[in-house]
Amino acid sequence: MRPDEIEEVLRDTLRHEVAEATPRLADLEERIVAELGDRLPRLRFVDWMRSLVASTQSGRVGQLAVLGATAAVFLIVGMVITQDRSGGSILTPTFAPTVASHTSQEVLFVVPALDAERVAVVGDFNAWEETPLSDENEDGIWTASIPLDPGRYEYAFVIDGRWWGQDPSADEYVRTFGQYSSVRYVGGGGDGV
Amino acid sequence: MSRYKDAVYGLCLGFLRNRADAEDLTHDAFIRAYDNLRRYHLDKRFSTWIFTIAANLCRNRLRYRRNHPVVEPPTHLAGGTDPANIIAKEDRQKRVQDSLNSLPYAYRAPLVLRFYNDLSYREIGEILAIPEGTVKTRIHRAKAMLKGLIEKDVMQHETG
Repeated sequence: MRPDEIEEVLRDTLRHEVAEATPRLADLEERIVAELGDRLPRLRFVDWMRSLVASTQSGRVGQLAVLGATAAVFLIVGMVITQDRSGGSILTPTFAPTVASHTSQEVLFVVPALDAERVAVVGDFNAWEETPLSDENEDGIWTASIPLDPGRYEYAFVIDGRWWGQDPSADEYVRTFGQYSSVRYVGGGGDGV
Repeated sequence: MSRYKDAVYGLCLGFLRNRADAEDLTHDAFIRAYDNLRRYHLDKRFSTWIFTIAANLCRNRLRYRRNHPVVEPPTHLAGGTDPANIIAKEDRQKRVQDSLNSLPYAYRAPLVLRFYNDLSYREIGEILAIPEGTVKTRIHRAKAMLKGLIEKDVMQHETG
């Protein structure tokens, strides 16, 4: 057996083993999402996941349901990555602009969008003009770091032209003209980001 | 399909050679990833990070197994066992599976990361916390060991 033949048969074998187990893994995302969702009721996690699936227009509903569930897990990942908060500030932001430092800080926006081709964030910090997020290593996790002065900011993601107003990493949500936007508090005595 | 789910499951299955354990640890890896998010740095590839978590879980599970051995009937992960019904490819895969099961973990792990997860030597070293040079050596030796085991199996099959 040649060395490259070993490599080929090894690849085939391992892929075959995983392919065989695929039916057993069908509900894995659901179980993970359910467990994480239970920990984070504030985020209406499952609702978000459903909205992700429902808003997709293509016919690949089953596949996208799986992707949506997985993306939800990774949105949680993104959420916590962006959090650098202490205490209960997430639930009860106590932003005080008059006493806050005016030094701007890099605020990280993270969203998983595994199949997306274009992701942007729009908000009052950029006059609702799109600031693109990037996914340089193509792992489906899109990020943008934007310098912001302390304050309250409304924003939303735009994923392949679709509005994503409920970022689970937001401090709160607002609804205007029937559409949700997220709110992030930056700075302000240790609250927010 | 989710690329992460299959990739993590494939890693666990390759490392542990047991479907139920691989399924458990895939689940645990994602939960653990959430629990340890504050340690994740965006300058690191997400895949490398979650593979590291999964590899550590697998290593711990193997240690536990070593200290708490369970007698299990030998099973093949795929393919039939009746030689009359096995086509050449499946037969070859079964031999590789058997040989992988016999390979020590220290050699099997880098082999799986290289040929299932398609990772670079550097990434494998990072995940397994071993130098890149060691990764190369182990993969080289693992292939030789695997080749030897497969050929031995073929000879036994032919003479038996």
